Amino acid sequence: MNAQVLHKRSFIANVLIRFGFVLVIFALFVFFAAWNPLFLQAENLTNIVEASAILMILALAMTLIIATGGIDLSIGIALDFGAAAAVVAMKSYDMAWPGAVCAGIIAGSVVGIFNAILVVGLRISPFLATLSTFFIGSSVQRIFTNGGGPISHRRMPDEFRQIAQGDTLGIPNEVLVALLLILVYLIVLEWSVWGRQVHAMGMQRSAAIVAGIKTNRNLIIAFIFASATCAVAGLIAAANIRMFTPLSGFSYLLDAIAATFIGAALHPRGRPNVLGTVVAVLFLTMVANGLNLMGINFNTKDALSGIILISALALAVAQRKASEAMLLGSRRR
Amino acid sequence: MVKAFPGVLALDGASLEIKSGEIHGLVGENGAGKSTIIKVLAGVYQADSGSIEVFGEPLKPITPATVHRAGIRFIHQELHLVPHFSVTESVFMGQEISSPAGLSKGQMRRRAESVLKDKLGRSISGRKLVRDLTTAERKLIQIARALIDDEVRIVVFDEPTAPLASGEVVALMSAIERLKNSGITIVYISHYLDEITDICERVTVFRQGQSVAVFDTVTKATGSDLVTAMIGREIASVYPDSNRNPHGTGLNVKSLGDGKSFQNVSFEVGRGEIFGIAGLIGSGREELVDALYGVNKIRYGTIEKDSKPIKISSPAIAVANGIVLVPRDRRQDGLVLPMNILENISLSVLKQISSYGFLNRKRERQVAEQQTAKIDIRPSNPKTVTRFLSGGNQQKVVLARWLANDANIFILDEPTVGVDVGARVEIYQLIADLAANGASIIVSSSDPAELIGLCDRVATMTRGVLSGVRITETLTVDRLVALTTGATQEPANVT
Repeated sequence: MNAQVLHKRSFIANVLIRFGFVLVIFALFVFFAAWNPLFLQAENLTNIVEASAILMILALAMTLIIATGGIDLSIGIALDFGAAAAVVAMKSYDMAWPGAVCAGIIAGSVVGIFNAILVVGLRISPFLATLSTFFIGSSVQRIFTNGGGPISHRRMPDEFRQIAQGDTLGIPNEVLVALLLILVYLIVLEWSVWGRQVHAMGMQRSAAIVAGIKTNRNLIIAFIFASATCAVAGLIAAANIRMFTPLSGFSYLLDAIAATFIGAALHPRGRPNVLGTVVAVLFLTMVANGLNLMGINFNTKDALSGIILISALALAVAQRKASEAMLLGSRRR
Repeated sequence: MVKAFPGVLALDGASLEIKSGEIHGLVGENGAGKSTIIKVLAGVYQADSGSIEVFGEPLKPITPATVHRAGIRFIHQELHLVPHFSVTESVFMGQEISSPAGLSKGQMRRRAESVLKDKLGRSISGRKLVRDLTTAERKLIQIARALIDDEVRIVVFDEPTAPLASGEVVALMSAIERLKNSGITIVYISHYLDEITDICERVTVFRQGQSVAVFDTVTKATGSDLVTAMIGREIASVYPDSNRNPHGTGLNVKSLGDGKSFQNVSFEVGRGEIFGIAGLIGSGREELVDALYGVNKIRYGTIEKDSKPIKISSPAIAVANGIVLVPRDRRQDGLVLPMNILENISLSVLKQISSYGFLNRKRERQVAEQQTAKIDIRPSNPKTVTRFLSGGNQQKVVLARWLANDANIFILDEPTVGVDVGARVEIYQLIADLAANGASIIVSSSDPAELIGLCDRVATMTRGVLSGVRITETLTVDRLVALTTGATQEPANVT
């Protein structure tokens, strides 16, 4: 058997592995639509996409950090800091919206810089380092808001509100921002030299170092870049409700981690990857929305989400095994 | 016995006969079928045809359970031990002794210690943690696991010395001899022919899925007979010609020290020269190599490359200066194992194959294919994940990575550990070609024959001090061993 055939087979197998999960999503989609016609209405579909924007952005950041071989438990803090700084900049310092956006992103980046100091400077493991950042960041917010009350800004400049509430060419702006960030992350993590280095160091740090990769520099960049990304999600959150709600970022943490790992499970070689994460976020949001529309009891909903997730992943794994068996059958020994 | 994989006959009517109570060697290049026949014997693969008899009784069906019941045990190449388990826990992992009151810890510990002492001749406390043991001791733990019940009749060793330094090999050999003397039959697979001729009574040679020869080593086979049978043709020498023409100075190391493991190390490597460093584990040789590459910190001294002083504080800086390392532990430091051949090779030239920071996958493929064509990596499909390659092919991928880069100082640490003879010859030739093209090469090795055969000059390291640089023509294996162990203190005659 020549290499050409082998290559073709592996291509088909890869497609099956990748799109097996997409088929599951499609089946669920049809199911939800059949159950409740409301699901298919344009308004609801827009809802799903809109609702997934913030999680999408956070999950991208998480994917980057997990690809470096670490984890970031403080993504919510970066979101909160971004939202707080933007709202305060406009409310107390009368800044114009571009200034507020910059303030938010800078405030978010501070979280990443802090993480980088702990992980690279003090050599604390990413899990413990970002957990500490999470504790400290939560406390800072409570102190700053005298116990966790929201800071609202009713007369928020219209341009800033547009980030979350406006449309461009019929597409909600926050969806556009998320799409733009997906593209940026595809470039950074999947198509660039830097991304290849990040994947290498995430898989086997010592080999990456010996190969001459500047792993510390890359880690610092990754932490700062990820937290700046989370701050963008914070801007959207603040613009959406015209206020800063302390500690609101935390609720996305588990979903962002889940999305990254689901995405990695979809990858033919199990790597954290941008496209997988995107698919996973859409999946998670769709399931949440569909179960809502089915009118399922709030208490049982989470259990159902869990069961759907397990079944979908089990299917994806089974499919991958089948494709791998096909691959093995054609592999030279 | 026949075993066919789609597209390839891995075993083509191979047979193997082992006399009871002997140590039987199994040699052959990678892919010759020796691991396949062992996997069939272990019940991991099912043979398409053929049969197995154990002490005259046919073994049927051949499954891991029936094989185990027949008293056959396998010592795999990889250690598969949990670092923070104790010796006792490791020996009994999966075969714990328990009573209604829970695990019988004391009983297990005494049993583990007695097996280690009586059967393998080494006292190790059952309370010690695996992570505190030497590699040789870990290997003994792994062997003890197989011996813990008394029904063992045959033990199969697959490359048992691959991770061991030469001093440790001797200890393992004596443990194996001891096993044999207690009446256990032993099958011994190794790339190291000197071990085979030392320890085995008979040897079966595999080539292309067939057993091509059976030697009686005690009477007549020598290493070169084995090599000829393995490769199927005679090779004049394992080592390439040494009529090179070193000139100038590529790397000049002046009184280098790290304050701990080595002191005042000075040597020069010419352009186009292969310079060897010999030394036992703990002599500071490994630390010196790491320091030259920026993995270890240097406390004093200077390194000059092409007569310009350079400061190597990290591997990234070393690479930027054209100094590259082929590390001793290639599975840990050499390759990103989950990545494929392509990605591993391109890791050193990502800048060259990209434009504006974007990877150019076509150029990446071209570069990788150029290299794989040059040095014959098998399988040749560059999308093969490197974890699945044999040791020799993995090492070739590490070399290919640095050949793609325009490095001119190559530091090769144990370049042929766990590499079969065929691939070893190819790797030596590659190294010689590099030198012929003007690269300066430093080979650090625990194999004295390799250093003498390959290098122009060899220095020895003892207790952190680099002494006597000698031209290899003046050296013999025995003398080099004597020098590294400090048995002789003769002054260096040539520097």
